[in-house]
Amino acid sequence: MTDFMRLPLDSAAAGAPLWLQDYLREARSRWEGSTLPTRKTEEWKYTGLQALRVSYAAASEGVVGLAEAGVELPHFGGYRLVFINGRYCAEHSDGNLPEGVSLVRFADAGPAQAAAIRDHLGAAVGREEGLFTALNDASLEDGVFVEIEARVRVEQPLHVVWISGNQEQAFSINQRLLVLCRQDSTASVIEQFSGARSEQQSFTNGVTELLLEDGATLNHYRIHLEEAAAAHIGRQHARLETGATLNSFHLALGSVLKRIDVVVDHCGQRAHSELNGLYLPRGDEHVDYHTCIEHRVPNCTSTETFRGIIGDEATAVFNGRIHIHRDAQKTNAQLSNRNLLTSTRAEVNTKPELEIYADDVQCSHGATVAQLDEMSLHYLRSRGVSRAQAQTMLSFGFVNEVVDTVRCEPLRDYLRGILTRRFARDPAITGSMV
Amino acid sequence: MSQENIDHAISREYSAGFVSNIESDTLPPGLDEDVIRFISTQKKEPEWLLEWRLEAYRGWQNMAEPGWAHVHYPPIDLNGVSFYSSPKSMKDGPKSLDEVDPDLLAMYEKLGIPLHEQEMLAGVAVDAVFDSVSVATTFRGKLADAGVIFCPISEAVHSHPELVRKYLGTVVPRKDNYYAALNSAVFSDGSFVYIPKGVRCPMELSTYFRINEAKTGQFERTLIIADEGSHVSYLEGCTAPMRDDNQLHAAVVELVALDGAQIKYSTVQNWYPGDAKGRGGIYNFVTKRGVAHRDSKISWTQVETGSAVTWKYPSCILRGDNSVGEFYSVALTNNFQQADTGTKMIHLGKNTRSTIISKGISAGQSSNAYRGLVRMSPKATGARNYTQCDSLLIGDRCAAHTFPYIESRNPSAVVEHEATTSKVSDDQLYLCQQRGLNAEKAVSMIVNGFCKEVFKELPMEFAVEAGKLLEVSLEGSVG
Repeated sequence: MTDFMRLPLDSAAAGAPLWLQDYLREARSRWEGSTLPTRKTEEWKYTGLQALRVSYAAASEGVVGLAEAGVELPHFGGYRLVFINGRYCAEHSDGNLPEGVSLVRFADAGPAQAAAIRDHLGAAVGREEGLFTALNDASLEDGVFVEIEARVRVEQPLHVVWISGNQEQAFSINQRLLVLCRQDSTASVIEQFSGARSEQQSFTNGVTELLLEDGATLNHYRIHLEEAAAAHIGRQHARLETGATLNSFHLALGSVLKRIDVVVDHCGQRAHSELNGLYLPRGDEHVDYHTCIEHRVPNCTSTETFRGIIGDEATAVFNGRIHIHRDAQKTNAQLSNRNLLTSTRAEVNTKPELEIYADDVQCSHGATVAQLDEMSLHYLRSRGVSRAQAQTMLSFGFVNEVVDTVRCEPLRDYLRGILTRRFARDPAITGSMV
Repeated sequence: MSQENIDHAISREYSAGFVSNIESDTLPPGLDEDVIRFISTQKKEPEWLLEWRLEAYRGWQNMAEPGWAHVHYPPIDLNGVSFYSSPKSMKDGPKSLDEVDPDLLAMYEKLGIPLHEQEMLAGVAVDAVFDSVSVATTFRGKLADAGVIFCPISEAVHSHPELVRKYLGTVVPRKDNYYAALNSAVFSDGSFVYIPKGVRCPMELSTYFRINEAKTGQFERTLIIADEGSHVSYLEGCTAPMRDDNQLHAAVVELVALDGAQIKYSTVQNWYPGDAKGRGGIYNFVTKRGVAHRDSKISWTQVETGSAVTWKYPSCILRGDNSVGEFYSVALTNNFQQADTGTKMIHLGKNTRSTIISKGISAGQSSNAYRGLVRMSPKATGARNYTQCDSLLIGDRCAAHTFPYIESRNPSAVVEHEATTSKVSDDQLYLCQQRGLNAEKAVSMIVNGFCKEVFKELPMEFAVEAGKLLEVSLEGSVG
């Protein structure tokens, strides 16, 4: 069952640093002992894994230039680190690291850093999070470790880019990011995934861990821009200690298979999280977001807003869970999920869940599925705007409210550009079927 | 409120817990094809129905008990369950109320069932199901005048075989799920209702179920057919005597609303929930579903306060264009009760509409889950759903969950879902107490207000009973 990843696993085991070998071996036995989920597995009810029925090779270093592959590489100021096909690319990585920040690839970690990585790796994600985490652990050849020292305030964003380029065979990329924000530090981290505009089959298996110590603040962005045949199964786990604040933003364009799990774990009192996201599948693409907000202790707050526009024959899945543990009193947790279906063949499956074991809490969730409001369309058309334009405007407005929550200005502008082009290039997503 | 009061209220005895001593014919525990043949022979059923049962049984043997619900209970030993029981005094079949076992009548009296003298006053026709065999039916004449058929399903098999054969199992197929298949194989009795074309049923139809015989699983089967343009309101209420062993109840209810028909199905369920330590109580695993044809309407209203474990999803398949489905529910759990209940609205026709209002109240160490599905099929153009799920938590050891599945494949369909969770706030309590209400009254008032949207959907006599039930179950559980 799990044989299709044998080659990348062997290659990772050969390339990983010595101090990681035990970790890999343990994970590999977990992976080999597991079976792939089916539609009968509740967590995978609406997402099939047919797209992974490929024998993957290990990724080789980028074989084509970025421009040829049609990949653009934005710069948001600050420090940028680029990986192409899972390999570090010195040519495109640049910038100076700000004071108080250390950023190191696992492969380059010195003894002290290796010890810090070993101490914190898996602290947020746990080992029981399913077989794709086991696969990620077992394929850990290279990863990125970011540490923000205590009380350091980093103004410029740290930008990590993973690019799936072209290669002869279908290949897999193992992405791992470990961010450790020490006490009372403040920082921004942008994770970006881009793919070549081609029918290249690739599979990215990503795991990001965000560890926020007491009073730390992290602005985190995870931007998925891969399209077409680039499959992605990703996971982000955040662990918030006392008084920590996480602002996390997610964007996913669709592809053949995209499944992202986001877990925010409030472990210390007065922690606060804000989670926002957008998914915009079209064509025959698929996006699946599973989010879980864990409230383990009293006096924490969380808000979550996800919106999606689903066009053509695309499918979207959203599962938003809020879990209030026993004694997590005075919790305030809100979730909202809104979907626009713009085609008769598009499909959305949403499930906002509440699981509550404490009484003195305020929790609510809301979910809607609809198409663009006819009255609003009529209003614009009565003022001379064409139907297609009106649809673009309204769709843009619908997602722009979420883009507005992005605090990093250059990123916000970049995303608006992408969305504008996406809506304009292919009006199908805004409902040209009408 | 003092801890003493709380303890007092929580330890309140189940007021309907008594056992009436009527001899009954009970089959030894266990299930095989012979048991099914025995049941069928006892009821002098036609060959096709026996075959139907056996087919369901064979399907059931290959099925597994569902494990997805948010409930936990020890495995049920079906070999310890007896699958048939009928009151002995029924052997000859009473012709009128006078011939009915006086013990039975006394028991109904205690339960306040409006039979005999009360029947005229209440204006309710009662088809009372005592364990597995219907023992008395009233108002037959009046209903017959209107052309309405209201009788035990075992009788309908003989008197109206064409209707039973045409509709039985069409809404809930024999192999729909584990418990529905089990029910199909061994169903004991239940009600059959047929409302002819264009007829508005002259009175509200009512059935009281009561599980009486120790260790007798009850497998009711109800089939209601509302022919074109007809209208019926059906009431179902339940209480059960106190017992220590868990009892299994796996009922199936099928509703068919043909073009333009309306069916309103109301339930007050107050089965024995187990004692304060979570011992005993009924396991209630029910499959209820209705099919709504063009321009028709199916409305489910339920007040669930009983049972140790509830697993129940009254659903609507909105097959015809412009059909309407409604689900109004109050589910209250206390002590160690567990409920996993909700609805499914399957929108197939154009301009179909559905409304879901669910109010969950959890107290003690109970767990209360809403689980629902709203599905907009590609053909459900212009369909509309509105769902509201509110949970109220009383005490810090209970749990409330919401699992709504929303699947939409039509852009013109609109689905809205919202859910909230809160507790009876100290401010609300303070405000009421400041105006001279004691805490118990205040809580009762607040909870009644919380459930108002559902209660107003209940027929009058049920609304009263429901209000009382909540009061009894909740008094003093807030401190």
